[in-house]
Amino acid sequence: MIATFIISAVYASGAVNAPETFEQKIPNSLAKFEMARIPAGEGKQDGKSVPVKSLWIGRTEVTWDVYDIWAFRRDLDQDTVNRGHFDANARPSRPYGAADRGFGHAGYPALGMTARSADLFCKWLSEKTSKKYRLPTVVEWEYAARAGTAAPPAKLGDVAWYWDNADDKTWPVGKKPANAWGLFDTLGNTAEWAKLPDGNAVVCGGSFIDKAPEVGFGARKTPAPAWQQRDPQRPKSRWWLSDGPFVGFRVVCDD
Amino acid sequence: MDLLLVFAWFATTDRAMLTNAMERDNAMTRRDFLRTTTMAAAAMAMPTGLFAQGKDQLKVGLIGCGGRGTGAANDSASADPGVVIWAVGDVFPDRAEGCRKSLQDSLKDRCQVTAERTFTGFDAYKKVLASGVDVVILAAPPGFRPAHFEAAVEAGKHIFTEKPVATDGPGLRKFLAAARKSEEKKLHVVAGTQRRHDPAYRETIARLRDGAIGDVTACYAYWNQGALWMNPRQPNWTDMEWQLRNWLYFTWLSGDIIVEQHIHNIDVCNWAVGAHPTKAISLAGRQVRTDAAYGHVFDHFATEYEYENGVRMISMCRQIDGTASRVSEHIVGTKGTTNANGSIRGTNAWRYEGARPNPYQEEHVHLIQAIRGGKAINEAVQVCETTATAIMGRMAGYTGQEVTWDMVMNSETSLAPASMQMGPIAVPKVAVPGTDRVS
Repeated sequence: MIATFIISAVYASGAVNAPETFEQKIPNSLAKFEMARIPAGEGKQDGKSVPVKSLWIGRTEVTWDVYDIWAFRRDLDQDTVNRGHFDANARPSRPYGAADRGFGHAGYPALGMTARSADLFCKWLSEKTSKKYRLPTVVEWEYAARAGTAAPPAKLGDVAWYWDNADDKTWPVGKKPANAWGLFDTLGNTAEWAKLPDGNAVVCGGSFIDKAPEVGFGARKTPAPAWQQRDPQRPKSRWWLSDGPFVGFRVVCDD
Repeated sequence: MDLLLVFAWFATTDRAMLTNAMERDNAMTRRDFLRTTTMAAAAMAMPTGLFAQGKDQLKVGLIGCGGRGTGAANDSASADPGVVIWAVGDVFPDRAEGCRKSLQDSLKDRCQVTAERTFTGFDAYKKVLASGVDVVILAAPPGFRPAHFEAAVEAGKHIFTEKPVATDGPGLRKFLAAARKSEEKKLHVVAGTQRRHDPAYRETIARLRDGAIGDVTACYAYWNQGALWMNPRQPNWTDMEWQLRNWLYFTWLSGDIIVEQHIHNIDVCNWAVGAHPTKAISLAGRQVRTDAAYGHVFDHFATEYEYENGVRMISMCRQIDGTASRVSEHIVGTKGTTNANGSIRGTNAWRYEGARPNPYQEEHVHLIQAIRGGKAINEAVQVCETTATAIMGRMAGYTGQEVTWDMVMNSETSLAPASMQMGPIAVPKVAVPGTDRVS
């Protein structure tokens, strides 16, 4: 509530309205994040207008603070883990290396996860919170990222971490100004998983490794074998993208 | 010793060319002779680039069919169109079979492993070596490497050996003797320290050699991360099967985390200095990952190494969940610093902007190019020295004593069980610094 108040104060000083938000706590942990209400409206798909229902979307990319709990089984009893008495198909394998690439951890966006991982995280989060969490669709993602504006930001560096200002790494979420609906880092930092109508996922918005032309509301990257090129194991991981440090996500919550 | 470390790679010897190849081996088969002759003729007729892409079939055998071994077989096949995977071997039938099926699936007709050439048991490696292969990939747990490498050299095979290459003093001496023999036999040997095959690392170290950061005064090496995989014990597993399927957690098999994993970063520092350290002290322990499921290895080491010229390397490795991660190297010189991985800061600031091909594939490209008549390559002594460096750090951590290079290389303690068979074996006790001694 305090966080909401502060944000409201910030927004009250600008031209935009304060976003309607709620804070999601992860039970039995200190981790939490904020969700913002996106109003119903018209999104774009293949050049055509499509309706978008009102929804809640994460104000930031999912951070390690939250992702760690699921990915590294930190909500499970250690004895349970050590005896293997949990569903190993529902939790990521252990990465051989630093999952955060040494960019930073607390407050930084979780990264390098497959779309399957992001999906299963949402499933876990839904079970933990008794809400319905999922990845956004591409239409929803772009609609929320644009927040009612047609034009790209006048100065990309003001709102996004990308090639010119990111120093080849991610940055803590929420350090640059939010868009009109209160969302941070939709452009740059990590690109974000979203679903196509066929159920496949792409990453949207561009990332810290992209130059300006590849960062924007319409920026998409389709998963490729190169994203796992340096995974030395066969089969390659179902959970981690050895060469995908630019991949992250934010979650959507249906009413 | 130092000469061997100073760039087996950049030294452009032509010792694999025809003349030496003809001298290589009295046991050369007719097929080998024909291939060599054909390649030499091709070399005279064609530019080097084409020559390197010889189409003659190279039969590759895989020893150790885990995820890494299966990955390495794929990397080998992707490195050269003439490679076929010919035979596989693993202690466990499920591993060997699973690997064969995976390779058939990914490589199609370039996997020519038949049921008859899918070998299992503790002696599977001998059968792979006797199956008619030209090249062998050694990817079993490190404790087996000295015996596997020795047999591969004896059989005259070119070798890709995963790291590390030993876990104790007797293993190091066995590997080193075989490494010398592989040089005498002019075999090509590449090790799975893949940073040595990454263009960004290679270009950075080349610049370092040219004085880009002045004289190296200190090195820092890190592999700090969370916990790794563990296979919970099944009721039908013997002690031996349980330990083999959880080889990370038993020092006789993995060498402990400083040897199994942190070796990569230690290797980069040895590469940068151009030598191996001569002594080490270490603070280490088994602090958090204490459950019996994780055997008896430690979960952290912080080690100071000292090279003969007085340069020190600070090395840290940790596998504890919820702790800060860092996997990198940092080299300090009188004129600048470098991460060894494409970035130099200081007087001669520079950033690598070239291609970053997959080093796990590049290491196989370099091996096969050498076999096909390109630059000779033999990294056996080099990877053995880095393995010994890592073992020195482990011994310093386990004992709490200052441990010297000679103590490591002369250590008589063999960590392996007396008998290699499925059945009962003990879990070694957790080392106690201040009480345990190097012997």
